[in-house]
Amino acid sequence: MGRSQGSLRGHIATPALLGLPVAWLIAFFVVPIVIVGLYSVDVYSLFPGAHGFTLGAWHGFLHSSVYLGLFWKSVKMALIVSAVVVALAYPVAYYLALSGTKRKYVLLLVLIAPFLTSYLLRVLAWKVILGNNGVLNSFLAWTGIRSANHPLSQLLYSRFAVILVLAYVWVPFVALPIFVSLDNLDRRLLEAASDLYASRWQAFLRVTFPLSLPGVVAAFFFVFIPTVGEFVTPSLVGGTSGYMYGNQIADLFSTGFPDWETGSVLALFLLGVVAVLTLCFARFTQAREAT
Amino acid sequence: MERKLSREELLKLAAAGGAAALATGPVGLARAALAAESGRLQVLDWAGYGNDGGQSMFAAYVKKYPNNKPQFTYMTNESDALAKLHAGLKPDIFRPYVGWTKYFATSGLVQPWDPKLLTNFKHLNPFMVKAGQYNGKQYGIPDDWGFDAILYRSDKVKPKAKSWSLIFDDRYKGKIAWFDDLNMLTVAGLYLGFKNPWNQTDAQLKQSQNLLKSKKKNVRLIWSSETNLWEAFGSGELWIAYAWPNDWVQMKKKGLKVVYMRPKEKPIAWVGMLMLLKDSPRPKLAHAYVDAWSSAKSGKWLEDNYGYGHANTLARPTSSDLLRALQLTNPRAVTLPNAYLDRDIPRRAVYARMWEEVKAA
Repeated sequence: MGRSQGSLRGHIATPALLGLPVAWLIAFFVVPIVIVGLYSVDVYSLFPGAHGFTLGAWHGFLHSSVYLGLFWKSVKMALIVSAVVVALAYPVAYYLALSGTKRKYVLLLVLIAPFLTSYLLRVLAWKVILGNNGVLNSFLAWTGIRSANHPLSQLLYSRFAVILVLAYVWVPFVALPIFVSLDNLDRRLLEAASDLYASRWQAFLRVTFPLSLPGVVAAFFFVFIPTVGEFVTPSLVGGTSGYMYGNQIADLFSTGFPDWETGSVLALFLLGVVAVLTLCFARFTQAREAT
Repeated sequence: MERKLSREELLKLAAAGGAAALATGPVGLARAALAAESGRLQVLDWAGYGNDGGQSMFAAYVKKYPNNKPQFTYMTNESDALAKLHAGLKPDIFRPYVGWTKYFATSGLVQPWDPKLLTNFKHLNPFMVKAGQYNGKQYGIPDDWGFDAILYRSDKVKPKAKSWSLIFDDRYKGKIAWFDDLNMLTVAGLYLGFKNPWNQTDAQLKQSQNLLKSKKKNVRLIWSSETNLWEAFGSGELWIAYAWPNDWVQMKKKGLKVVYMRPKEKPIAWVGMLMLLKDSPRPKLAHAYVDAWSSAKSGKWLEDNYGYGHANTLARPTSSDLLRALQLTNPRAVTLPNAYLDRDIPRRAVYARMWEEVKAA
């Protein structure tokens, strides 16, 4: 009797607990995606009038070297940003987790302190640094490395500027998952490696790094997924060459003449790619946990 | 003391209003409706034209109707406004530019103005007024205006000709700015010598697009806000830009040696057109608001503070530079043979898609 009561309570408790988040997810994630899907096949439209199911926008997109080319360009930029960010964040997280400093949580707080200021402000600050009359060019002119009349002009409004600013923005974010995986490392394994005459470098390569890999992969995807669809940073510092796939989606919805059909196709394609990558990531982490 | 009307009195008043409306026609109808107009006037306008700096343009209206102050929603462009209107936003007034007059007049979203209710209407530039008409009805009241032409640094740039070719010039790779608008295809069409760049054939449009795609490598920035342009041009990142007269004035103020070139293919003139939404419950207030915007006093303020031209021919800016750049003493400045007044693009959606492809390429 008691057992059956308990299981009944379990039967009720689980849906009750899950009900709200699931409803939230359906209302604000699944339904909007379905609506975007309906826009992409012209079942829904911004404009009144006769509309009907068509795959025209999908066909146009999949046969457009322009849109797919832009997507590939954004993927490459996001890959570079993610790699740079992980490479920069790893030593920071390593120091915080394994140096034995007592102030690691204070330092962690310092690391994420930039998040206390506005994202826009942080991005715009780079304009002051990278511009023709900016800090960097002024320094180069002052040292005589470059003439003041010939500043390094590719620092701003370029692909380089977008990669640099995105890397800066994401480093603190990415240091966190790496820090967590390193902080949870069983230190006895490092002692064992040392007992077996492994050098510090060998211990890092064969013990620390493989065990921190889930954190590294998580960090990589943490950056890659939002960066591939980024549009704020490129619109502020990217200029013509830094224009990304996310900018195109935003523009299709809001400039020139509204083309929500194509905009929806581009958005869904991005979502699909990101979903596949997330699945791959989940499989990777599950496989590692199983071993 | 507030007096409450009985149902009977209310019916009598409604009947009297109806009779008056029948007797005096649509104008009378609008006047009769005045008594019923209430609430804040809803305005869909561009940033800078609302309570974020543009208050002087409608100060006379606020003084006259303190209980019906305008409430603003901002639009980033006509496309954005169109999306907002279809999504259910119900403003009384909004402001597309002249190239969209026909589109909106035939969209069923707007209704014509009654010029008799606008005391300043008679002072508005007749060419701009005409551009605001469709089928003889005044759908757009012109106010702010300017040119699309070329701004360049005379100490850095030596143009081969007074031509739109300068914004494609390979010699100045990385120093050129374009404007983020499908009008770039129109400009390309002008440069390529097409007869009607606003209605290019498929082949011509492809040619214009190919020109833009091939010259995009020279372009550093495609600007969408003037502050964005001023920042980059002022700091020397740019030497040549598709620009408006005010941009020339601003760069001159920064001490730069700049020229505002009138290309031989002619500049394009743009004019802001205030439009009245079809189901506006406040048409009289909307007329009063537009009348305030159209006064010579508001016009001078706009010219002095924003550097745009104003359709009121009595308005004169303090700056002689601006007076010259806008050719304000010449009422024909916005039309041929001086410039092309921007016009309807029948295949706007095709132009828009092709311009997006240029940016994405």
